[in-house]
Amino acid sequence: MKAGLILGLVGLLLGGCVAPPVNYYYGAYSRSLYRSKKDSTPESLAKHRDVLLDIIRTSERRGIKVPPGIYFEYGYLLAKEGSPEAERYFGMEVKAYPEAERFVSFVRAQLQGKS
Amino acid sequence: MKPVPFCLVIIASLLGGCASPVVVTKAEKFSGMYTEKPLTIFVLPPLNSTTAVDAKEYYATAIPQPLAFAGFYVLPMEITGELLKSQGLYDTELLVDQPLNRFHEYFGADAVLFTHIKKWDKAYAVLAANLTVTIDAKLKSTKTNRVLWEYSGTIVADLSGQTSTGNLLVDLVAKAVITGINTAAADYVPYAQLATAQLMQSVPFGKYHARSEKDGQDKILDQPPGRPR
Repeated sequence: MKAGLILGLVGLLLGGCVAPPVNYYYGAYSRSLYRSKKDSTPESLAKHRDVLLDIIRTSERRGIKVPPGIYFEYGYLLAKEGSPEAERYFGMEVKAYPEAERFVSFVRAQLQGKS
Repeated sequence: MKPVPFCLVIIASLLGGCASPVVVTKAEKFSGMYTEKPLTIFVLPPLNSTTAVDAKEYYATAIPQPLAFAGFYVLPMEITGELLKSQGLYDTELLVDQPLNRFHEYFGADAVLFTHIKKWDKAYAVLAANLTVTIDAKLKSTKTNRVLWEYSGTIVADLSGQTSTGNLLVDLVAKAVITGINTAAADYVPYAQLATAQLMQSVPFGKYHARSEKDGQDKILDQPPGRPR
């Protein structure tokens, strides 16, 4: 932790790092994504879904924007489980990031086509 | 393990890369980024020309975060990956020289990110184990098919934690990354993220970054054109 402190101080000295340019909370995202890709077991997928939910809840609690794609990915996993909650998260993605609309519509149509 | 703060990675890589003498501004080098202002990025699965079979999966998971922190909207790779598979597109190589307008038409993407893992080497010596990661990245417009940004980044990480590069900052960053890591498989992910963050220091920031469109005069190290891809 000492190293972290020193690094923090160096960062302050060099400037530009005082306020983070974009503030996102990613939790254990890349690791759980890696594991869910690698194993693709129901357990690793469930773990990844929990990580996504943690990102959403923690970001909301901290009052920061949920990172790009997280609501969407969470909704997608719910949709694949047949949960009616999925649509709510798709909507939240588009609300937070209007540029996602076209892709969300595309994926929604694909999911409906399959079911 | 705590993630390494993004800004520290940038400082380390800036200091670490001081050997190359040619410095250019972001606006000079990547003018297309400032005229087209891409926001929505479709990330294709990495190309892998190394013998490390796992590198592709490791690296893929390390792309979205640094890209988001640079201010872009990244279409979720979990979903785009499945979509490509369902379309029978397993090989990113096939798309390199293709018109990309469909990525805009169907998915609303402004640009497509190609990444290429050039090096993923583990070297074992008596007292140390190093991992060298080299990534080439290229962002192409879906509207004009023009290359908007391309850069290459290399990191050398000491897997044993006994880092001594002679550069205090780089050593500290490497140690911070290594703290708490064991040799389990998924533990390469932070190194892959470091490599991405290293090359992302040169990208003109996207809309969600506080310095978006204000970083045109930021200096970056020039890289010779026509690197083998």
